[in-house]
Amino acid sequence: MIERRLLIVSGKGGVGKSAVSAALGVLAARRGKRVLVLAMIQPSGLAAHLGVDSLSYEPTRIQPGLFAAAIDRSHALEEYLGLQLRVPRSLPMRQFSGALSVLADTAPGIREIVTMGKPIFEVLRGEWDLVIADAPPLGQLQSYLSAPETITGLVPTGAVREQASRLESTLSDPLVSGLLLVTTPEELAVVETREAIAEIDASRQILIAGVVANRVLDPLGVSAEAIAAVPDSPARAAGLLHTGLVESQSFWLDSIPDDPRLPFLFGFHTPAEVSARLAEICESFA
Amino acid sequence: MTREITTIIVTGAGGVGKTTISAALATRLAGPDRRTVVMTVDPARRLADALDLHSLGNEPSPVPGVTGLWASTLDASASWEGVVHRYSDPDVAERLLKNNYFRAIADRFPAAQSFAAAETMAMMIESGNWDAIVVDTPPSAGGLDFFLAPSQTAELIGGKLLRWLTGSQLPGRRFLYRFTGRPILMIADAVLGGPLLEDVAEFLLDLRTMYDQLAARAVTIKRHQQRATTLVATTADPAPVAEVLRFFEELTDVSIEPAAVILNRALPLDWTVASRQPIRGIPDAELRAVLKANLVRWGGEARRQTTSMEGIADRYGVPLITVPWVADSPTTVGGLERLLAGVEGLDELTAKS
Repeated sequence: MIERRLLIVSGKGGVGKSAVSAALGVLAARRGKRVLVLAMIQPSGLAAHLGVDSLSYEPTRIQPGLFAAAIDRSHALEEYLGLQLRVPRSLPMRQFSGALSVLADTAPGIREIVTMGKPIFEVLRGEWDLVIADAPPLGQLQSYLSAPETITGLVPTGAVREQASRLESTLSDPLVSGLLLVTTPEELAVVETREAIAEIDASRQILIAGVVANRVLDPLGVSAEAIAAVPDSPARAAGLLHTGLVESQSFWLDSIPDDPRLPFLFGFHTPAEVSARLAEICESFA
Repeated sequence: MTREITTIIVTGAGGVGKTTISAALATRLAGPDRRTVVMTVDPARRLADALDLHSLGNEPSPVPGVTGLWASTLDASASWEGVVHRYSDPDVAERLLKNNYFRAIADRFPAAQSFAAAETMAMMIESGNWDAIVVDTPPSAGGLDFFLAPSQTAELIGGKLLRWLTGSQLPGRRFLYRFTGRPILMIADAVLGGPLLEDVAEFLLDLRTMYDQLAARAVTIKRHQQRATTLVATTADPAPVAEVLRFFEELTDVSIEPAAVILNRALPLDWTVASRQPIRGIPDAELRAVLKANLVRWGGEARRQTTSMEGIADRYGVPLITVPWVADSPTTVGGLERLLAGVEGLDELTAKS
């Protein structure tokens, strides 16, 4: 999962994307890699899961080998124009980026390509062994992944188009880039994940490197009938809730790939505790 | 028409069960004397099946098995088409609806879906067809979009974009030609590789013709929203709780006062205490040990829930309504009715108009 140069982490909102991104970053750094974890959209839980108050556009060192940053659009746009498109310095940059930021709000694909350009730019710069992108939720992911294609369809020539083709080939190279989908074993999250898998497989925009189910409950090892037979009490109610949830979870887990599963973490309170524990758990499979 | 209409808006972060709660509230409100409609946003398939939601285009259809209940699903593009037809000249409307950028805007502006939802709610209120209206809101960071979208959309269409693009206060078609002849744009087009900016400006000029009507509409929609009962749904997970806090912090911008916070997937408070006491009445030692360990884990979760919700209720002086955690989300109208059956504090809210 962390052997490629770029790992994009997405999933339905609220399933734990940022926690998993942070955990894999911690794990990769522990294995001696130089890692950048990037929050692609705001607000993001990434800072909290890395145990810091906030992240800036410039990578901050979190621990040895682990750096993190958050993309904000105006910085990303400037960098896109200056470094990625190599717009000549002689241009009145402020006016130009003003016009482009209007375009970014209006024309399809511009905002996405500016954001998507950042992690890929970081990969191509060669400063990192691994870039982990804490990506937009599934509902928006498709428009980010297809941004290069949208742009090349819209713009016949020029620097924007060239940059878009570079993004497209980096994303679709299975040796360089992979997508990790995080889900929880619930109806909405699983259904959305399955739809995304089908769509992305068909488009071949990026390789799906894995599907991780998060917050999976362990069976209690006693039957629901045995629990139902005990006198009414909190112990009975908690037992029935647990077995009921396990049953419902296993129904939804059956319909996604049999990839690594991350447990529901009882007793872990802060986001940083959660990602540290997940990093330990990922040790066995990532 | 002087009929009293109960309007309930359910807002909150994505994934907390807003749609299910909206549907359950509507099921509870509906009756032979109260024609009720629930507008859902992107319902899970099994819930959509239970409500028999299979038609598109915002048109409510009756829910089988519940007297007086209708349901619809928000169709944002249909709402926007309606908006364009209502608020612009026929020839402009035709041009806009054919325009690629229009499609992109209607699909992608963060506020576009929220505006569609708010406009659809307003149309339902004004139709005079309903005694009670329950509105599920599109996911948005902080949950405020539903309230901000009408005025933001008017502002945007009114020329904020165009002003930036042209640097002119009141651009008309005449300005457009001057603007497209400017050197900055010629260079921009060379870099970007096409007449993109010109196309965008043309489009924005068309959009701008709707400004006056949309600005007036935004005022009306806001009045409807302020008269409605707003409920903020959440779970006790850190991310949605953070969004609820942000929502309350930014509320003053929209002059909305939520009537209650609804905590979904709530665990009973007494599990925390019970988990510290010995378990009686289970002779089988192994079963007893398993249930004890399980209760300790879930009791810890119950305590965590209490801690994370305390702040909100205290700080903002808003009642907290708890909906119990059930193993499987309701997928029948019977399940929707049962979900809220034992829940306290709802009647005061749903009676208010």
